[in-house]
Amino acid sequence: MNKRSHSIAFWAAVAVFLVAVLSMTQIVRNEYPFFAGYVILQFIALAVAWSILGGYAGYVNFGTNAFFGVGVYTAVALFNATGAPLVVQIAAAAVVGMTLGFGVGLLTLRMRGIFFSIATIALAIIIETFVMNWRFVGGAAGIQIQRPPVTAPFDSYVKMLFFVQAVLVVIAIAIARYIQNSRIGRGLQALRDDELAAECTGVPTLRLKLIACMISGALISAAGAPAAMYLQYADPSSAFNLSYSVSALAMALIGGTAHWIGPVLGAILLGSTQQLLAVTISSEVNVLVLGIMLVLFVVGAPKGIIGLLRPRYRLRAGGKQ
Amino acid sequence: MKRRTFLGGAMAVAVVGHGSSALAQQPPIKIGMSMPQTGGLAGGGKASLLGIEIWRDDVNAKGGLLGRKVELVVYDDKSSASETPAIYAKLVDVDKVDLLFAPYATVPTAPIMPFVKQRGLLLMGNFSFQVNSKVGHDMWFNNAPWGPADSWAASFLDLAQKAGGKNMALLTADQEFAQNLALTARDVAKKRNIPIVFDQVYPPNTVEFSSIIRALKAAKPDIVYVASYPPDSAGILRAVNEIGIGDSVKIFGGGMVGLQFAAVMSNLGSLLNGVVNYNTWLPEKSMYFDGTKEFFDKYTKRAVEAKVDPLGYYLAPFGYAMGQMIEAAVGATKSLDQKGIAKYLRENEHKTIVGPIAFSADGERKETATLQAQFRGVKDKDIEQFRSSGKQVILFPDKLKTGELIAPFEAARN
Repeated sequence: MNKRSHSIAFWAAVAVFLVAVLSMTQIVRNEYPFFAGYVILQFIALAVAWSILGGYAGYVNFGTNAFFGVGVYTAVALFNATGAPLVVQIAAAAVVGMTLGFGVGLLTLRMRGIFFSIATIALAIIIETFVMNWRFVGGAAGIQIQRPPVTAPFDSYVKMLFFVQAVLVVIAIAIARYIQNSRIGRGLQALRDDELAAECTGVPTLRLKLIACMISGALISAAGAPAAMYLQYADPSSAFNLSYSVSALAMALIGGTAHWIGPVLGAILLGSTQQLLAVTISSEVNVLVLGIMLVLFVVGAPKGIIGLLRPRYRLRAGGKQ
Repeated sequence: MKRRTFLGGAMAVAVVGHGSSALAQQPPIKIGMSMPQTGGLAGGGKASLLGIEIWRDDVNAKGGLLGRKVELVVYDDKSSASETPAIYAKLVDVDKVDLLFAPYATVPTAPIMPFVKQRGLLLMGNFSFQVNSKVGHDMWFNNAPWGPADSWAASFLDLAQKAGGKNMALLTADQEFAQNLALTARDVAKKRNIPIVFDQVYPPNTVEFSSIIRALKAAKPDIVYVASYPPDSAGILRAVNEIGIGDSVKIFGGGMVGLQFAAVMSNLGSLLNGVVNYNTWLPEKSMYFDGTKEFFDKYTKRAVEAKVDPLGYYLAPFGYAMGQMIEAAVGATKSLDQKGIAKYLRENEHKTIVGPIAFSADGERKETATLQAQFRGVKDKDIEQFRSSGKQVILFPDKLKTGELIAPFEAARN
């Protein structure tokens, strides 16, 4: 298939996906699939957004929870102050996330590898401490939020959030796909393999890293923003929970980071397993099962699911194609 | 939902009419809940669940509710607020449980409050703190003995003022529960014109408290109100032991989480002496009601197997009491109609193994039954000593009182 027909197939699939999601919200009456589905969609958005910086550029961001929490609390603060609608909350969260991403991008000037990862963890702790002391958004005690009435054509708020999160997933994937196929993606890939060599051959590494950080940050924060309305409650320890970082990273790695479909597959697999285990085994064992799954993938499929499915990506991920 | 409750009621009527042979064939009554079984709240969650399971076994041994067996549907919420909405949606929409219990603690409970309010469902609370104050759900009943929001600080300050305390120092962890306590403590102190001479909030995971305790000592307070979490509670008491707190302090403690759990208590041993702290149940004479002793006999045996807190005073009996209240309400209304059960719970006083329980309009206790007790004569490294009375003398509330405060704090430490 050439590039053009690839594009048509992609957008057709997106349209089918969104129509399916929308009709599901209109047909299915049982609300549980929407509660569980929302969480899975949220993780798809997070994993795809994470892989823009972590996968394409190779800068392992452990601060997904910082961006996520910033998204949640931007929404809470805005809703508390002005009663802003959901779309405005998400847009504002994306802007704040992008600004934070710019700051993180500047960090990459001085830090690489493990030091960058540690700095991003520190960032999460700093922001969480700040929020804990910000009484307007509930501080350490957390805050309960009353949802506004739901907008037509949805008959329940959770169904609407499910659809909104599906749209965010589509936006994240479309951006990730664009970056992957563009000059930005090729530049990021070059700097991932050897930053010095890339710089010497004229790749504008700092600019690319800043772009990747800002886009990744904006998408993660945007995906986090509806969580405030989903939970109708926000507290710093849940919003800045390190499990968001670990899950996003694990999902991207299990799926494979060389192609945008990798994090999507990883998030679907891991996210559904997590949801399934939560209501089946439902004990310490589910943590063990996830741990074993991670170990198996790291050992058996170091390039993730897409590395197993299509050897071509294995080559590309190694930078040889 | 209405249809199902109608069916439930119809079944109950049929059951009552047809005698016990038909009863065994009825489907079980399902009670659904999430419970922290992993994560930070797991220790408490498991003990609470064991209390509820003991009630389930007891009620089933007596023939169940409305002649139907009681079955628990329990999922692990990993101590996280983000897990509970999906779990409760599944319990209600997929598992179609008949009644809901809340998970242990405030954080996992908070997100499900609006959900149960929107659906008009009864929720039995499990040790949340002021989780219904903003939501205002009229079918929420908390099993915890907290009572009115300010009673916690008020009872401690009552004791302190009686002992001659005139100013206060506050030392609080920067976390949800501790901050809630600190807020009410500041309010009560302001109302009573007690000046706050020291007000320190420390970040969670602080391990070294010597500089904080030195600064606190330098402020020469009469009353030291501490709201801390298990690791910090231990750190604070160690620092107090090393540095001392000064002769001016009449009373020390109040809201230290962790000093209710067997492992922390036996670890701290004699460092606990003199501390006045909140508690929910203690093996003192005044705390034994109908069935209390039998409950703890069963709990002590099963706790070993379940690998939970061997004493289980803090949460387990309240889990059992939650079941007892449901048992009484379903028995009295002879149906599973949640509105009817809620009405019964709101209008009556309920006999439980933790004493009589009556609810105010917000679903919290009418009167606080949160104990303030002083540790006395505690030795090092001995869990069993906490099973005997006299190790934690109850100072508040008056009707459960088993002794007087020994002040100042330094005198009570010996």
